[in-house]
Amino acid sequence: MIKFGKGNLRIPKWERPVYIVAGGLTDFRKKYPEKNSCQLVTEALRMAVEENQLKVDPEQIRRMVNWCVYSQFADHFGDQLLAAAKVHDYLGFDPLGNIEVKTGGATGGSSVLAAAQAIASGYASLVPVVGWERMDEVSTKVGNSYIASAACKDFESELGWMYAAYYALMAKRYQYENNVPHESLAKIAVKNHLYAHYSPFSQNPGKYTIDDILKNEVVSDPLTFLECCVMSVGAAVLFLADEETAHQLTDQPILLKAICGGSHTLRTADRRNMPILLLPNETEATYHHFLEGRRHEWPGFSSFLAARMAAYLAYHMAGIQDPVKDFDILETHDAFTISDIQTYEDIGLRPYGRGREFIDSGEAYYEGKLPTNLSGGLIGTMHAVGATGIFQIVELLWQLQGKYDQFHGDPKMWTRYGKTKPADWKSLQVKKARRACAISHAGTGSHVTCAILEKP
Amino acid sequence: MEWPTARLEVLNEEPLVVKNPKTWYHIHSYGGWGRFFKGLRQKIIMATRCTNPTCGEKRLWLPPRSECPDCWHPMEWFEAPQVGTIFTHSVVTYPGELFKLPPGTPLISVEIEGVCTKLMSWLKEGQPLFGMKVKAVFNTEKPTNTILDLAWVPA
Ligand SMILES: [Zn+2]
Repeated sequence: MIKFGKGNLRIPKWERPVYIVAGGLTDFRKKYPEKNSCQLVTEALRMAVEENQLKVDPEQIRRMVNWCVYSQFADHFGDQLLAAAKVHDYLGFDPLGNIEVKTGGATGGSSVLAAAQAIASGYASLVPVVGWERMDEVSTKVGNSYIASAACKDFESELGWMYAAYYALMAKRYQYENNVPHESLAKIAVKNHLYAHYSPFSQNPGKYTIDDILKNEVVSDPLTFLECCVMSVGAAVLFLADEETAHQLTDQPILLKAICGGSHTLRTADRRNMPILLLPNETEATYHHFLEGRRHEWPGFSSFLAARMAAYLAYHMAGIQDPVKDFDILETHDAFTISDIQTYEDIGLRPYGRGREFIDSGEAYYEGKLPTNLSGGLIGTMHAVGATGIFQIVELLWQLQGKYDQFHGDPKMWTRYGKTKPADWKSLQVKKARRACAISHAGTGSHVTCAILEKP
Repeated sequence: MEWPTARLEVLNEEPLVVKNPKTWYHIHSYGGWGRFFKGLRQKIIMATRCTNPTCGEKRLWLPPRSECPDCWHPMEWFEAPQVGTIFTHSVVTYPGELFKLPPGTPLISVEIEGVCTKLMSWLKEGQPLFGMKVKAVFNTEKPTNTILDLAWVPA
């Protein structure tokens, strides 16, 4: 599709408001043999019902659930088909109906979307969204091969069996088109490893310099290991509810104003040129230079049409005029430093070609205009794929509820995971945060969701 | 009845961790795209084009598609040019398992005139540069019967 009809760009709407009431996580590790997947999801679910100051006891909450959504990326990894049935059973939600959602790296975001559709339509009033991934049954090399099975197996997987290589191809082209120094990319890695340092959930925290990132070993040039997401084991759970149920459960429900999805060709190879789909904060004039000049093609290899589409729909649905002004906090799918810069442009933080300004200006940092990935993101904290999009929204929920310190700063949270709270820990709670955005992303941009949360 | 002789190797006692071997293969059909892979054996690159007169996309598709995504009509096969330019490139140092080429192989995306896509492939000789002219080479000696049987060298 390179030509839009009216129906293609219809703005989605909820039949009734959708709320987020509680969230729970496990910590994230490279290997987690101590607990099987059923145990991990139960641990995350218990945190959601026991530690979110809910007004109803956990057993009563179980009686209120009427539909469940499960989020797992790859049956390959867990080596268990229909894993959702097993998890649903172990969580004791039988005989309630459920579905398992699969959209690659965006599985978490799509699962929240599916749960929101159930609430918004009136089909359900309280829905747990349960995500996990078990990536430690195979070696990292086999794991990368499994992930690359999500590229086109006939024409692309063989060329590297490695997603980092597919992103490296985009990174090279992006740098070539936009003169982006590697230092700008490295800043994102420095930031997200640092924010992971403040999180008890994180797998790969670290205090690095730009130089450390640049001198780190190269996976596929230009990307170094420290610029790539971790491969994790862990789980995340969110509870979505209708208005009445939300107020029964909590004094601090958060509105899910919008969550919308977009897609693009599985193979980057197949991306044809089209006119830029403009966001509310852009006009034809924004791109006069790019369209007339060097930026002769869009989305090419440098932009994610799926992310642009998801943002277009979600911004219109939630009435967002200017994302940098209207959002107080953002979680992106920073699978690679390059994809983060690309996403800054796709979601309108900067016009196409100028994404680096968002990180270079300092806006993306804590106490900047739009703090991004305070959770530590995929580079620093986790990428247990099925849990990832849910994890992002759990972190945003806690931020909007003012609970960052409760879940990240309590020394007991650290000892729970066998860690010691760092002596230099600092709070990343965004003061007076009111509106938040999360981007969940698959493949080389095959699926993307854009979620917008708001404090009522 | 006897106890089974095949056993799972114990890797760790607490928690109990076992090794679960997988040794089978998949029988995979290229279906309607087989003509592309067979073409490589004859040193030709077969692409497809939509011949529906009302369809807006007149260019070739490579990788080929049996049906046009713009109008859902069946497409027809045509030979694609064997020269192109490098659109982007990366040397993969740490490939995943199953990669059949050595680490350090440059991956490339190739722009070909008259083709609406940018084929992902690899550079068999030399170092890749943006806009570098390349020509196709084919593995006909001992073909892998995968996309790797097509590669490019500086033109
Ligand atoms: Zn057609």
